[in-house]
Amino acid sequence: MTIPSEAFAPARSGARNRRRVFAAAEVISFIARVLSVFAATLREIFDESAYQRFLKRSGIPSSSVAYAMFQRENNQAQARRPRCC
Amino acid sequence: MPKILRIVLWVAVSLLGALALATIALHRGEQINALWLVVAAVCTYTVGYRFYSGFIAAKILVLDPLRATPAERLENGRDFIPTNKWVVFGHHFAAIAGPGPLVGPVLAAQFGYLPGTLWIIAGGVLGGCVQDFVILLFSIRRDGKSLTEMAKSEIGPLAGLIAYAAVISIIVILLGATALIVVNALKSSPWGTFTIAMTMPIAVLMGFYLRRIRPGKVLESSLLGFVLVIAAIFGGQWVSQQPSWAAIFTLTAPTLAILIIGYGFAASALPIWLLLAPRDYLSTFVKLGTISLLAAGIVAFRPSLHMPPLTRFIDGTGPVFAGTMFPFAFITIACGAISGFHSLISSGTTPKLIRRETEARFVGYGGMLAESMVGIMAMISACVLQPGIYFAINSPAGVVGQAPETAAATISAWGFPVTAAQMATFAHAVGEQTLFNRTGGAPAFAVGMAQIFSSTLGGQAVMALWYHFAIMFEALFILTIIDAGTRVGRFMLQDALSHIWKPLGRTSWYPSILFTSALIVAAWGSFLWQGVKDPLGGINSLWPLFGICNQLLAIVALCVSTTIIVKMARVKMATVNTGRVKTPRVSAGLPEPNHASASPARMQSLGYVFVTLIPLCWLVSVTFTASWHKVLDPNPRIGFLAHANQLVKAAANPRLIFNDRLDAAVTALLVVMVTMILIESALVCGRIIAGSTPAVIRESPYVATRLTLEEQA
Repeated sequence: MTIPSEAFAPARSGARNRRRVFAAAEVISFIARVLSVFAATLREIFDESAYQRFLKRSGIPSSSVAYAMFQRENNQAQARRPRCC
Repeated sequence: MPKILRIVLWVAVSLLGALALATIALHRGEQINALWLVVAAVCTYTVGYRFYSGFIAAKILVLDPLRATPAERLENGRDFIPTNKWVVFGHHFAAIAGPGPLVGPVLAAQFGYLPGTLWIIAGGVLGGCVQDFVILLFSIRRDGKSLTEMAKSEIGPLAGLIAYAAVISIIVILLGATALIVVNALKSSPWGTFTIAMTMPIAVLMGFYLRRIRPGKVLESSLLGFVLVIAAIFGGQWVSQQPSWAAIFTLTAPTLAILIIGYGFAASALPIWLLLAPRDYLSTFVKLGTISLLAAGIVAFRPSLHMPPLTRFIDGTGPVFAGTMFPFAFITIACGAISGFHSLISSGTTPKLIRRETEARFVGYGGMLAESMVGIMAMISACVLQPGIYFAINSPAGVVGQAPETAAATISAWGFPVTAAQMATFAHAVGEQTLFNRTGGAPAFAVGMAQIFSSTLGGQAVMALWYHFAIMFEALFILTIIDAGTRVGRFMLQDALSHIWKPLGRTSWYPSILFTSALIVAAWGSFLWQGVKDPLGGINSLWPLFGICNQLLAIVALCVSTTIIVKMARVKMATVNTGRVKTPRVSAGLPEPNHASASPARMQSLGYVFVTLIPLCWLVSVTFTASWHKVLDPNPRIGFLAHANQLVKAAANPRLIFNDRLDAAVTALLVVMVTMILIESALVCGRIIAGSTPAVIRESPYVATRLTLEEQA
């Protein structure tokens, strides 16, 4: 017995739509992940993350005094950090 | 992906890479598109990463994802922090990518595009990436120890001392050579000088923003700084067009050298963090942006290479620097192919951030591949120029003559036609008074970059802006290297001098700070001054000297790696043979990795030493040959001593004669020191292989990771 293909059309279309939505969500989530890693990389390169860790470790809120303290703590380590040619 | 599809894919990538390499190697007589270089590099890098680094990771280093790294074990929120591998990659790349991979290939382009390109690709995949990867992993397994500490513990105390001396020497010569690049780029250029001068108040403004307005928001302030720097480039154009202002910012090479020397001293000795830290951030921001922009530009605009694959100067008569293709092409391009300096980064900050051992492959090997790609882009930037223009920019007045007509006639006689009028038009297009005799590589790179972008983005009208953007970018981050490098050198010197007199080691004692800063600045300042006064352009002697130092440091790093690999192989053989020597993995109750059990396979593990031994042998042959030429070659354009003798006969300034002899002495001393490391390392390896000395690997004890797979991901 042959079943006409149209009989499955609405179900197929629904499944296809769900798959599309799912694929789009996956793509968006992938892009969001990439962007968040990119932002984290920049924050690490530019010491923003180091400053956040300093605040957490010291238990103080961000302020100009806190940033000055962070810079004083970091100066010594940064000055010894080699940088390539 | 099904296995058969994977095989097909990798065969296709390999064939494409082979086709691209064959095209750039065998094409003669016609211009080729720059994209061939990009395709050759990308395919080779992909295959190298997938197979060669995979082989090293699995068979030689036996990376263990279950072994806790120092970032996990010693986590303190400051130096040791388990960090996402992409973040560490970015951090590592930002630290290793300096002006070296941009300047070296531009200078080596005098041999044509072929030698440099092949060296960057092959040297990167088989040498530089291996060095960075292996040193990174060995440092991870030793709690983030530095190269000098590893040399001391794995080879011997003398090796540690020599590595220390090599590092200080390379820093001094690096600073002298890179400062000379800035001087040559900014001399008689009011536009460039004004733009760079403006980065100082901009940095102070960024510092104020960081401290007072938005504490810690470095990315925001860098963006603000970037916008202001772009405004300063436009301001520079205005300044260069106003005779009264232009006169103020038109400086000679000696004046610029004095200013840079003074700046280096101030940066090292004075508490001017409000200026230095923000400029450092700004420089990194501009560097990453410009490298990305250049990569996108080359792929999007696909320029043609005008430089032939090989020029007549492979015979050693080149005007940019004297010396035959072997060994000088391999000395001139260090960063981009293999650079000893990288081993300092791989055994510095990076091993303290790696979350698990397996990520060392991506960060160490992959990071160097990225830098190698930067070298390819620099080569393209130099080779898109008409060869006549390239040689007019890079040839010193001492070789081609001072007058534009004379220089143009000399260069045209070499077979690279160029006219004085053409150069004048070109100089006018980039907003400079002249482009003749702008040695050092930076101006040629800037012109090449400007040409690539101006061909579509804005046309000739904005070529001057692109040129000065590139000059600003290079000068900015070279100045950052000068201030950071002077401080690093000062600290190292203070460490060393503290063994003679304790107070000299106190980093907060001002007399010691002033004294050691003055010593370091005087050391690199004398090299800079020598370069400025050199009628052959300075870069002719300084860049090969820097290349020799850099490659000698790479020899030290490869000696350390080879010694450790020999020890690891011997321990592995002893484990399988007798079962007496237990690896840390076994003592921690974890299953032993599936090492070879058959006898030939056991011997094979010792054979794996070739991964570092082959690049080591190559570098020894290259560096020692180059050193011999630079010290003893009878050609005064190559040999320091021959040049000194020529000056003696001409009754020249005694200072110039002294400089040549000093360069010869520095080169010879470094070679002797590195020879001592080589001999000591060979003796250690020989004794271990013969079994007369037990193979003791000084790794930190094995600790199983506590990070779950989710945390690791």
